[in-house]
Amino acid sequence: MSTPNWKTAIGRRARVAAVWLVLILAWEGAYRAIGWKPWVFPAPSHVIDATLSMLNIHTYLGEPLGPGWPLANPMPVDNPRAPGTPVFGSPLVSALTYSGLRMAIGFTAALAFGVAAGLLLWRITFIDSLLGPLFLGLQTLPSVCWVPLAILTFGINERGILFVLFMGSAFSMAIAMRDGLRALPPIYRAAGIMLGARGLRLYFRVLLPASLPAFAGTLRQGFSFAWRSLLGAELILLTQRRGIGFLLNVGRDFADVAQVVAVMIVMIAVGMAVDRWCFAIIERRVRTRFGLAQPR
Amino acid sequence: MNPEPAPSHTRPLPAAAPASGPLPARGRLDLTDIQFRPGPGPDAPLILDGITLRCEPGEFVVVVGPSGCGKTSLLHIAAGMLRPTAGSALLDSAPILGPGPDRAMVFQEHGLFPWLTAAENVEFGLRMMGLPAAERRHRVESALRMVSLSTAGHKLVHELSGGMRQRIAIARAMVVEPAVLLMDEPFASLDAQTRTLLHEHLQRLWWQTRHTVLFVTHSVGEAVRLADRVIVMSAHPGRIRREIPVQVPHPRPMDSPELADLGRIVRTEIQEEVARVNAELENGHR
Ligand SMILES: Nc1ncnc2c1ncn2[C@@H]1O[C@H](COP(=O)(O)OP(=O)(O)OP(=O)(O)O)[C@@H](O)[C@H]1O
Ligand SMILES: [Mg+2]
Repeated sequence: MSTPNWKTAIGRRARVAAVWLVLILAWEGAYRAIGWKPWVFPAPSHVIDATLSMLNIHTYLGEPLGPGWPLANPMPVDNPRAPGTPVFGSPLVSALTYSGLRMAIGFTAALAFGVAAGLLLWRITFIDSLLGPLFLGLQTLPSVCWVPLAILTFGINERGILFVLFMGSAFSMAIAMRDGLRALPPIYRAAGIMLGARGLRLYFRVLLPASLPAFAGTLRQGFSFAWRSLLGAELILLTQRRGIGFLLNVGRDFADVAQVVAVMIVMIAVGMAVDRWCFAIIERRVRTRFGLAQPR
Repeated sequence: MNPEPAPSHTRPLPAAAPASGPLPARGRLDLTDIQFRPGPGPDAPLILDGITLRCEPGEFVVVVGPSGCGKTSLLHIAAGMLRPTAGSALLDSAPILGPGPDRAMVFQEHGLFPWLTAAENVEFGLRMMGLPAAERRHRVESALRMVSLSTAGHKLVHELSGGMRQRIAIARAMVVEPAVLLMDEPFASLDAQTRTLLHEHLQRLWWQTRHTVLFVTHSVGEAVRLADRVIVMSAHPGRIRREIPVQVPHPRPMDSPELADLGRIVRTEIQEEVARVNAELENGHR
C-alpha cells in the first residue's frame, strides 16, 4: 500500500529478469554437463557469440572454459568468420539497414493504400460489397503464398520483395481501417454537420480525427503484418543477398545453428522494439487523449 | 488579470428580475402539420402525426412525453437531421433543408470532440464559419466565461466532469449565435445537484441571450422550471396532447408553489398518457 508504484514495477521487472537469467544459466550448465552437439541446438553462449560476430565483434563464450576464455579462439583455424572489420560494415547492421529501407518503402505504400481503401470501403457501400469479401479473403492468405507470384511476375528482385510485403499487409490494414471507421459513434458526424462542417472539411476536421484510435490500431497491426511478410520474402527471394531474412538463410547454408537462432532473436527483438517504442506509444498517446486509456 | 467572477449558483437568485436581454428579431420556429415515418412506404410506423408547433423568438418551449413518443425525432426534424414525411418546417419563414449552425443542438451525450480541448470544441463552429483568429479567441473566451469555465479551456474532454461537459456543449452550441437552440435531454445523465445548478445556469444564460429554445426532457420538474410553455406529447403516433403555459416570471425560485401545482398537472397528463398507451398495447396483444 505504501510502496510507490514505480518501486513495485521495478521489483517485478527485476524478478522477471532474475528468473530468465536463472533459466538461461541452467540451459548453459545443462548443455555443458551433458555435452550436447553444438550443430544440433546451440547453447546461450553460442548464440551470444554468433550475434556479436555478426556485428564483427569476436568472442568465444561458447568454447570450453580455459586460459584465454572468452576472448581468445582456441581453434583459430576452424573459425571462418572474418576479423577486423568495423561494426558499421558488419553483416547484421547492413542487413538491418536493408530491411529497414524495404519496410520504409513497402509499409508506407501499404499504409497509404490501406487508409485510402478503408475509407472507400466505408463510404461507398457498393465498393464494400464488391471488394470487402475479396480483401477479407486475401487477408487470410499467409504472405509467403505471394512469393511464387512475385517471382513469376516481377522476378527475383526488390520489386518482388516489396510486392510480397505490400500484399501481406495492405489488405488487413484496409479492413482494419474500414472496421474502425464503422465503429465511429454517429454523434460526431451529427455534431460536425450541426456546427457547419461540410464536405471535405467534415472528413478532415471530424471523421478522420475521430478515427485516430482506429488508425493507431491499424498502424500497429499493419506493421507487424508487414514485418512478417518482409522477413518471409527476404528468406526466399534472396535478392542482392541482403536483408535480415537473407541472414537467416546464410545461417542455414553454413549449418550454423547458433547464427540461425541469433538471427531469429534479432528479428523478434526488432519487431518487438518497434512495436513497443513506436506504435504502442503512438496508440497509447491517442487513446489517452481520447480518454480511452489511463495514462501510465 | 481579472478575478474570475464567482459562479453564480453560489449566490441566491436576485429577488427582482434583472433586465432581460432584448427579444431577438429572429428565431421563429414554425412546424406545421408534421408527419414522420422513419422509412419509405406506408408500412413504416407513423412516429409523428399532425404536429403543429410554433416557437416565438426568445421563447423557451419544453417538450415532455412518454418514452418513444417521438420527441427526439421532432427535435431532429427541427435540426434538419431528419426530413419530415409531410408538413413544413420553417425557421424565420425559410424552409429547413439540412443541419446548420443557425439551429445549434445540444445532444444528450454531449457529443464533444475528444481530440480537441474544451476551448477548441467551443471554437469549432466559429472555425467552420471562417472567422478570423482574433474574433474566434474573443468569442470563445466570452462563451467559456458565460458557462463559468474560463479556466477549463485547455482541458481535454475526458478530463472534464459530466456537468462541465454539458456546459461546454452548451457553450459550443451558443457561441455560433444560433437562432434556435435545440436541446435533447441535455442534463439527463447528471446527478440531481448538478442538474439544479445547470438549470439556474441555463435560465440565466437564456435570460441574457434570449435564444429561442426547444428543449426535450423526461423530468417534469425541469420542464416547469425552465419553460414558458410545456408541450405534453402523446405516443403512437406522436401528437401534441396538451400545451400548458407557465406564466411564472423569471428568474424563478426553485420552490415556488405555483411551479409545484403546474408540475402536478403535467405529471398527471403524462401518467394518463402512459396508462392509455399501456392499455392500448394490452388490447393490441389480445
Ligand atoms: N430509424 C427508425 N426506424 C424505426 N423506428 C424508429 C426510427 N427512429 C425512431 N424510431 C421509432 O420512433 C419512435 C420515437 O423515437 P424517438 O427517439 O423520437 O422517441 P423519444 O420520444 O425521443 O424517446 P425517448 O424519450 O426514449 O428518448 C420510437 O418508437 C422509435 O422506436
Ligand atoms: Mg429521445
